[in-house]
Amino acid sequence: MGLIKWEKPDPLDNLTHIQREMSDLFDFLSSTPQMEGYVDVEYPPIIVSMNEESVFVRAELPGIKASDLDIQVVDDILTIKGERKLTLDPAKVSYLRRERDYGTFARSIVLPEKVDTEKVTASYKNGVLTVSLPTAPESKPRQVVIKKS
Amino acid sequence: MEKKELPTVVKKKISSDRCVVTGKGNWYFPLSDIYETPDNFTILIDMPGASIENINIDLQDNELVVNGEVSQEAYTDEKVIYNEYNIGHYHRHFVISDAVNRDKIEAKMSDGVLSLILPKAAHVKPRKIEVKAE
Repeated sequence: MGLIKWEKPDPLDNLTHIQREMSDLFDFLSSTPQMEGYVDVEYPPIIVSMNEESVFVRAELPGIKASDLDIQVVDDILTIKGERKLTLDPAKVSYLRRERDYGTFARSIVLPEKVDTEKVTASYKNGVLTVSLPTAPESKPRQVVIKKS
Repeated sequence: MEKKELPTVVKKKISSDRCVVTGKGNWYFPLSDIYETPDNFTILIDMPGASIENINIDLQDNELVVNGEVSQEAYTDEKVIYNEYNIGHYHRHFVISDAVNRDKIEAKMSDGVLSLILPKAAHVKPRKIEVKAE
């Protein structure tokens, strides 16, 4: 019968495990949007969020000029169109690695609330597009007073 | 003119089974392009959401380490109702050779894209050799 050396488990292994679990727990509790696993999403992928006043649609669109973006709201449909342009002449350089994609895109989504189309604003900062759509007054909750008869 | 419909984007998460991830938040591998011109190498990295102040670039021996932290404060008083992408910090590292002039590496950030310009060292640059007339 062969002898197998008994490996004493490193007590620190357990600690890193706990650390990982804790970090996962914090991620779970934080308000940051996180999604696991990908379904085929249209480009650009979006996050829709809302608070009492507005609906926000955010999209990560790195490397696009604000002038190449076209945002439209018709009734409750938001359309984001644009083009990610190649800023250099690919014939003049030799690529060693290519992961980033270029091209035109268009995407429409139905908004969860009626919005005030006149007050829609959009900003583009650090490659993230944020469209703020204030909800229309008629879709805000309204207290109904019961009249005494 | 060549036009491709619908660019694609995949955010690869840096999983904790491959390396130990400490601190709050998730980390992702940003997508990058690397190309070469006669004078330099350029690395373009997509880091949407990371502002200039939160980008750290370190050169340790042969390794160029790029970290970008993304603030997630905007969502604190909003309720997310539909979600198609993850938000997290970015980390990527590149091994560079002697062909790069390390003292002159430049970095620029615009619209969420970090460009690193790595000038070539003198000994690898194309050099024209003149023929002397006798």
